[in-house]
Amino acid sequence: MKEVKVEVLGPEPPCMRCQAAKKAVEKVAEKLKQTEISVKVEKANVMSKDVVSKYGVLVSPAIAINGVVKFMGRVPNESEVEKTIREAVKKEA
Amino acid sequence: MNAELLKKLRTAVLLGFVFTVIGLLIYSRIMAYSLAPTMKPADFRGLAIWEIPIAYLIDYFSHGWICLVFAFVAAGLVYEFVPKEVITKYMGSGRVAGYGLALGMAPFLTVCSCTMVPLFGSVLFAGAGIGPAITFLLMAPAANILSILLTGELISWELAGVRIVVSIVVALAAGIIISKTPWGRAIEKEHQPTVLTGQASIEIVKPPLDERLWSSLKFAAYLAKQILPFFLLGLVAVSYVQAYLPEDIVGTYLTGVTGVLIASVIGGPLYTPTLVEIVLGKGMYELGMSKGALLAWLMGQPYDVANALAVSRIAKWKVVLTYMLIAWAGGVIFGLLYGTLSGSL
Repeated sequence: MKEVKVEVLGPEPPCMRCQAAKKAVEKVAEKLKQTEISVKVEKANVMSKDVVSKYGVLVSPAIAINGVVKFMGRVPNESEVEKTIREAVKKEA
Repeated sequence: MNAELLKKLRTAVLLGFVFTVIGLLIYSRIMAYSLAPTMKPADFRGLAIWEIPIAYLIDYFSHGWICLVFAFVAAGLVYEFVPKEVITKYMGSGRVAGYGLALGMAPFLTVCSCTMVPLFGSVLFAGAGIGPAITFLLMAPAANILSILLTGELISWELAGVRIVVSIVVALAAGIIISKTPWGRAIEKEHQPTVLTGQASIEIVKPPLDERLWSSLKFAAYLAKQILPFFLLGLVAVSYVQAYLPEDIVGTYLTGVTGVLIASVIGGPLYTPTLVEIVLGKGMYELGMSKGALLAWLMGQPYDVANALAVSRIAKWKVVLTYMLIAWAGGVIFGLLYGTLSGSL
């Protein structure tokens, strides 16, 4: 089982597009469960000091996979998210 | 192979749609076809109360749909294709870069306050300082692609140009002035930049063209969904203003120095980030409002209450009040100046 950490970075309270981004990630996580990849989805506040010091100024919604921001300011569809997660897993291996 | 073909087809259809929209706008320009409503206040006389908004909406949409569709599609495309990671990359690298980025990028990020406020906060936390953060915050609603396109198409391109220049000056002035005030400095100190560690952790995935086009159209639809309901209500209000507001009242109170002052004051609280101010401004301009007052009216955005509330949570009321005051003064000064220079005060 491989673990991947996916952070959905958006404002608090969440805006509509960030919720859409999170939903896409969660669906992919559900799907990947069957394929030996365990996705840990976290929601982080884009404006918190932790996030800013780690990533800098982001345009929300942003999605970071294993600590690398891969999507910013847009809501990716599920297949994009899945592909990117798989690539990240391959890179780790 | 089949999937590949489908992808190409999708790209072609999407590109076709985008070019059709652009083509329609160019065509309407060449044919000198009016994209703004053509009904004059006199046309409303004799209509029943319930007929007024219907007649106005029909008039508006029979002319305005090309312009609206184009504005939303353009905003969506620009937002999708503008390299947003530039902000992340350079925002922490000094004040001049901060102001430059704020002025250069904000107009392309046609977004609601739900994205602007977090951006404001993180610009501040990233150590770019309160100045660029304020400039960013004021510039985005004042002169974004959507509002400039609509100002240009519905009122005049001269006014749209003036609006851009004045927004830049006011946003920059507000940023610089606030960064010099004791309370501005206090906020800056409170949010001392945490050390930026993660400059290397951004690797934006570049999706294929069809995905990007689709995603920009989706964003355009999202913007439309957010804005159009209010826009429609605004149009209904405009139709009544046109029908019932006597021209001599507008001529008396919305011209001259008083006109600029009144327009700048009522433009503020009435402002909703929904482009209604453009249509309402046009309505009153037709009733006799001066150009100077119209500019002051359009510069009212920074009073946006929802935004101010959210910002005050990060930056205290003193900062919010200061930028509101500067923005108001800017609107008045440039309203008077523009009115005098254009001979319509």
